Amino acid sequence: MIVVVGLSHRSAPIEVRERLALSREEVPAVLRELMDQPAVAEVLILSTCNRVEVVAAGSEARGADLPAVADAALAALEARAPGVSAHVYRHLGADAVQHLFRVASSLDSLVLGEPQILGQLKQAFELAREAGTVGLRLNRTIPRAIRAAKRVRTETSVGSGQVSVPTVAADLATQIFGELRGRTAVLVGAGEMAETVARLLVAENVRLLVVGRDPAKVTELTDRIGGEPRGFDQLQPALQEADVVITSTSAPSYVVPYQLVASGHRARRGRSLFFIDLAVPRDVDPRVSDLDRVFAYNIDDFSRLVEETFSQRRREAEQAEQIVQSEAEGFDRWLDATEQVTPAIVALRSKFESILMEELERTLRGRLKHLSDEDRAALEKMREAAVNKLLHSATVNLRLVAQENLEDGMRTEQMVEALTALFEIDCDPPASVPRPSTPDAAGGEDINPTNHDVNGKASA
Amino acid sequence: MQQLANTAFLLGLIGYSMAFALFVIDLARREPTPLAVRWAPRLVGAAAALHFAHVVISSFLTHTCPVGSVHFALSLVGLLSVVIYLILRRRENLHAIGALVTPTALTFLVAAQFVGATRVAAAPRRALLNFHITANLAGVTLFLLAATAGVLYLIKERQLRQKRLASGPAKLPPLDVLDTTLNRLLLLGFPLLTLGVVSGAVFAKQVEYGNAADLARAALAYATWLVVAGVLVLRKVAGWRGRRSAYGAILGTAFVLVVLVLYVVLPGARGGS
Repeated sequence: MIVVVGLSHRSAPIEVRERLALSREEVPAVLRELMDQPAVAEVLILSTCNRVEVVAAGSEARGADLPAVADAALAALEARAPGVSAHVYRHLGADAVQHLFRVASSLDSLVLGEPQILGQLKQAFELAREAGTVGLRLNRTIPRAIRAAKRVRTETSVGSGQVSVPTVAADLATQIFGELRGRTAVLVGAGEMAETVARLLVAENVRLLVVGRDPAKVTELTDRIGGEPRGFDQLQPALQEADVVITSTSAPSYVVPYQLVASGHRARRGRSLFFIDLAVPRDVDPRVSDLDRVFAYNIDDFSRLVEETFSQRRREAEQAEQIVQSEAEGFDRWLDATEQVTPAIVALRSKFESILMEELERTLRGRLKHLSDEDRAALEKMREAAVNKLLHSATVNLRLVAQENLEDGMRTEQMVEALTALFEIDCDPPASVPRPSTPDAAGGEDINPTNHDVNGKASA
Repeated sequence: MQQLANTAFLLGLIGYSMAFALFVIDLARREPTPLAVRWAPRLVGAAAALHFAHVVISSFLTHTCPVGSVHFALSLVGLLSVVIYLILRRRENLHAIGALVTPTALTFLVAAQFVGATRVAAAPRRALLNFHITANLAGVTLFLLAATAGVLYLIKERQLRQKRLASGPAKLPPLDVLDTTLNRLLLLGFPLLTLGVVSGAVFAKQVEYGNAADLARAALAYATWLVVAGVLVLRKVAGWRGRRSAYGAILGTAFVLVVLVLYVVLPGARGGS
């Protein structure tokens, strides 16, 4: 079981979040600090512009020490940014798993369905693995969170569509013109959104003409985002050249009246013209849309398209929540089942390994003592493979039985007892659940009793 | 052999139908459907290969040159449209046109079954007739594709004007790509149509056709030629692009289709029935 302690855009304003924000370079040191806390056995830090979360696990089986782990994580956060406690949330056990799955699936993101969070989680997991702070529990939980997120993305449309006015505008330009390279855009006026649209178009190798009344401002703008400066008296010729026109002035009346476009329409010889009018009041006379191949969108149109995307995403989010719920419940069942039978599996494996190792060593000292180191290494590998193969079906079936009989554990108990009696093994649950020998073993196939915990801590 | 031809026909039919279903699924869903995008063209390609096999085997069985009868000509129009689509989609962002091309190919494949695989005029007229049919066949195919691009253009333009882009048609090709494609197809098809009309006139004069069906076909062929010529000239001279070009291409193709229907319904002397 795990804990999640942290803050996000939901619980803390940006002034608080930025005090806790960690760069990629800073994360390993903080991970080590957290691992120095006696209660913490495994830890990962997810730090993005909208959240900082510590995902941690203790060493006690069945999460008996989760409150202590959460306290330790909270103390570490408070030490880094005094006063943040008021904004920090804590999720423990199944609640933490569900929260983590929701975060990975972008259901807790500021922009619902945004795709970056999954990559950020994977990166955080990788960083923690490199720092050696990931053990059995996180190795089990994080891949399942990633799996849930992938299911959400493939089975719902929660991540589809454009979600900001500038990206919708640029996307519409592509839907009209296809390839934007070599097209000409005209920017009239300045504004944050208009600039962003212009930047997006310039990134697609669109030629940009910046038209304005104040030459100094125009030059400043072209210096900042590129493009050719033009005086306001050059607006009509610029419109003749334009494929896309972005307007964002504070003029009280139309900067682009109908007549201005209509008079030059014939000379355009049927070339498409796309007006992106981001001004309020509007800069472009809406009647220009009556002209063939002229498309005029204003800020309301773009906002509506963005809202449509969000409405669609919100509808899809309900389905996504169900997926997350079912994945989290499935994970809980799997975890419970695994924890019930893990001591037996570990003991069985240990027994098989020790017997085979003993026999192998005896033979290597006797009849096969002439073997080279290479041959001995090959035999050692064979021994490991033999143990894995011998125990594979027993391990899988035991977990299956445990999962199927979670409610009444009688059958599981009987099977464990049978194993104990047949193989004379000791199945007392260990104080800490051992860590898999490889990251791939997070799926639960490989339990190696020789690797009992991360950093050799708290295994006693 | 007959069984082989029938099997190729049936499998081709299934291939086109499945591809069509995938195109529709892709367009109907807002989110990307990579599986449909990947498999629809493959299925179209496989169906086209089977379609081709069906035409070849059937023409051997009936000892008929494929461009020498209305039956095979109809089938070949469908096949050619698919082949040209597969070539075009590799060059441009025209995947979605498949949603109209596949049912068209399917219709022509099936419709051809209702027309007898008849042989046509004997030599020395056959060479001219084959040339006439081949030119028309290629021209009709290109016009069909141009009309397809025109239909999609009108849908896309309407969608952009109504500012409703939340549904599947956002996956339609960009407006200008559709317009350019439409123009190129008309430019390619027009000389072929001209050759078809001229060779048809020469052939008709040689055999002295003159019944009502022949006259109707000839009149519609000339009308098509005039419409397409008008679209191309006005585009060049007056900048008539987009919606007007699309309507022109659709109108021209509608005339051509009526000519084809007349061939089927009123075969006349040339149908060889």
